Amino acid sequence: MSGQSDSRGFTFSAAELEFLAEDEMIEIVPNLRIKPLSLICGDFGPFQPQIPTQVPIWLAVALKKRGKCTIRPPDWMSVEKLTLVLEAERDKASDFEALPFHYVEISRLLFDHARDDIPEVYMVRSLIEDIKDVRFHKISTGLEKVSSRTYAMKLNLSAMEVNVIRPFVTGSLETFYELGAPEIIQESERQEYRRPQTADRGPRRELRR
Amino acid sequence: MARYYDIDDILADEELVPAMFLEAVNGVGLFESNESNRVEPRSKVELPFWLASELHQRQVVSVSVPPCFNKKTREEIGADGAHVDLRSRCSYFYELGCKIVQLIGDKTIGSLLLVAFQTRYKEVLIKAHTSASALAPKFLSLLTKEETKLYDAAKSSTAAFKTWRMGGPRFQKASVLGRKRKPIDE
Repeated sequence: MSGQSDSRGFTFSAAELEFLAEDEMIEIVPNLRIKPLSLICGDFGPFQPQIPTQVPIWLAVALKKRGKCTIRPPDWMSVEKLTLVLEAERDKASDFEALPFHYVEISRLLFDHARDDIPEVYMVRSLIEDIKDVRFHKISTGLEKVSSRTYAMKLNLSAMEVNVIRPFVTGSLETFYELGAPEIIQESERQEYRRPQTADRGPRRELRR
Repeated sequence: MARYYDIDDILADEELVPAMFLEAVNGVGLFESNESNRVEPRSKVELPFWLASELHQRQVVSVSVPPCFNKKTREEIGADGAHVDLRSRCSYFYELGCKIVQLIGDKTIGSLLLVAFQTRYKEVLIKAHTSASALAPKFLSLLTKEETKLYDAAKSSTAAFKTWRMGGPRFQKASVLGRKRKPIDE
């Protein structure tokens, strides 16, 4: 119940998450010739014109800004794949489709820096917005089912989604835990409140064992 | 649960609870009019929780259930928990409730707290993540301290995400940069 101000210290800002997402690998097609780069985080290259290679997004963006490469959008970022994902998201009320952990951040980075490299960029953009909205809606309907018997949740959420709901969810779970503590409430009454929750268990899963 | 440096925990201790003296006490100074500063047995007073609980443990006073957990409030919470004005009754409803349960051992209060939070939690969740801020003031005035914190946390994280998504400058220039330097001899 107490200590929310300090638990907020564990939240990332959106810009920090974007920074973390920049370590994801992406394929680029360079148009210049450089020897392999030996960096602390690994060796990248060699870069030869028209030979695709894998680099972290921050390097791709830096090269792109100087006009030294074109970025190949990742597989999941095509109109067909995203349409499938969106349909699946809409069909299933409680399950989340598998998308890259940093899909929100990666898509924003690519939209900002490599618009010309993404085919049908407007379509892709609106699909990702739709997917994000559907998922957020599902999250908040799912959160309504949280109760004092919820100990763990297992979901396919992405970094940004988790980060947005983190302050609220950790705070309320803490309060639920404290109000449901055995010295506050009788065991028989705990049983009573458990029943409705197990009846319509959505995306929440209780941790058994 | 209580953390020594938690300001909310300290403030929750300040809430008044009704208590009845079991013994005659000298030099209390609770009543302005009474010159002898003497409290007779069976006189009813309102004491802050921190004082009442210490005296209760020493059997000097007997603490009874505060008015915010009375039958009327219970019925209102049972009817429509989300729209009960808990702030005006006790802005540390949950914290005080937990303390009272541990002091008097009336576990029905515990289940009342849980039911109240369960129903009000949903309302906070929906309002915090969806509603425009114009809707907020009336609803916010019903929330206890604890719920307001949750609401603010959710609201600010959603708002931060939205501003990030809308773009805006990626790099902000520090205010000292770009300012023209003044000649030293001026």
